[in-house]
Amino acid sequence: MKQTKYLMNPGRLSRQDHTLKFTPVDEAGNEGQPRFLPVEQVSDLYVFGSLDANSALYNFLGKEGIAVHFFDYYEHYTGSFMPREYLLAGKMQVEQTKHYTFPKKRIVLARAFVEGAATNILRVLKYYDNRKTGSLADAIATIEQLMASIPLVPDVPTLMGIEGNIRQIYYRCFDAILGETFCLDGRSKRPPQNELNAMISLGNMLCYSACLGMIYHTQLNPTISYLHEPGARRYSLALDMAEIFKPILIDRLIFRMVNKRQLQPSDFRMEVEGCLMKESARKRFVQEFDASLKETIKHRSLGRSVSYKHLIKLECYKLQRHLLGIDAYKPFKAWW
Amino acid sequence: MYIILVYDFGQKRVGKMLKLCRRYLNWIQNSVFEGEMTEVQLKEMLHEAKRIMNEEQDSLILFKNRDQKWMDKQIVGIERQSTDDFL
Repeated sequence: MKQTKYLMNPGRLSRQDHTLKFTPVDEAGNEGQPRFLPVEQVSDLYVFGSLDANSALYNFLGKEGIAVHFFDYYEHYTGSFMPREYLLAGKMQVEQTKHYTFPKKRIVLARAFVEGAATNILRVLKYYDNRKTGSLADAIATIEQLMASIPLVPDVPTLMGIEGNIRQIYYRCFDAILGETFCLDGRSKRPPQNELNAMISLGNMLCYSACLGMIYHTQLNPTISYLHEPGARRYSLALDMAEIFKPILIDRLIFRMVNKRQLQPSDFRMEVEGCLMKESARKRFVQEFDASLKETIKHRSLGRSVSYKHLIKLECYKLQRHLLGIDAYKPFKAWW
Repeated sequence: MYIILVYDFGQKRVGKMLKLCRRYLNWIQNSVFEGEMTEVQLKEMLHEAKRIMNEEQDSLILFKNRDQKWMDKQIVGIERQSTDDFL
């Protein structure tokens, strides 16, 4: 399987001999030893450091179908270079739009996304409830109640309300799971106000980009979404998809890293605008994220091992089958 | 499949081979490459390699492994180039 490459350090990426060459450049402008990235093995690039590149490179990346995702200094997702769509399917597009415009069809999909997200949230909570001997039982009960009302909601805004409530209760559990080292103190974004918020923001962005990267390799159009309102400049279908995978991919990763003390308060820096993760910690976090994407599970219905990354793609395929009327879409629910 | 590739080509052709290998695998030492690749990619690469090489004079050796986890890599002295995904 092709790999994601992460460019954490400043440097220059160029095209040479029909492959990619990365030359690290330090602050003084001195070039280091270049490294060649085998272009045939690259699926996409995540750029965190500052990167020099020219149009020849982007032409080449476009031809090879390699997407580039950019993150700014504050670890926000700033945008992507998406190569020309290579899997075009008019029929898919028409069906996708139809499912958005007919409220009856749209709500079915929107419900599925929320249901999937809530189930996975519960799965995470129940695991930690076991370990912390029942301290999360109240939250679990409330979320279960809220979940029961999902099939009855009449429209998407109400559904978003329920989703918001679930998430609020969920985030309140974070403090109980993580102990004293970090506290959440309410979710804050743009910019995150404390360490935990910084972790969640970075994690969610990574999850969003991973989903976008997988959607790109299917016939789906990433701009038409069902739970989130399709915006003007956003790949909102990736947001829908990320909802399902955030609890299992990101939140578990955060809990694991904090509880194992792989992340300490000293790994963060408070600035006027908000809280930032230090470079070394960010690298560790992204490294762990990449490792968890590569981790495999035994898929129940496929009967073989699949990685979490592939799981996201399978989710896209299921959505496609729903849109084409082959199978009803059932969201991915973690069973472990 | 995880591959270690070593080659010994005549001076005239060695540069071409280097460029070809760089497209598919990570360079680790002079004339030595390693990395993950699929069956099809390997076929593709060998096909092109055969066009470059002179089969009377040059040699290309492949060590194939089903998975990277079955391989232990030990480095003595300096590591000429790392192969991880974080740059």
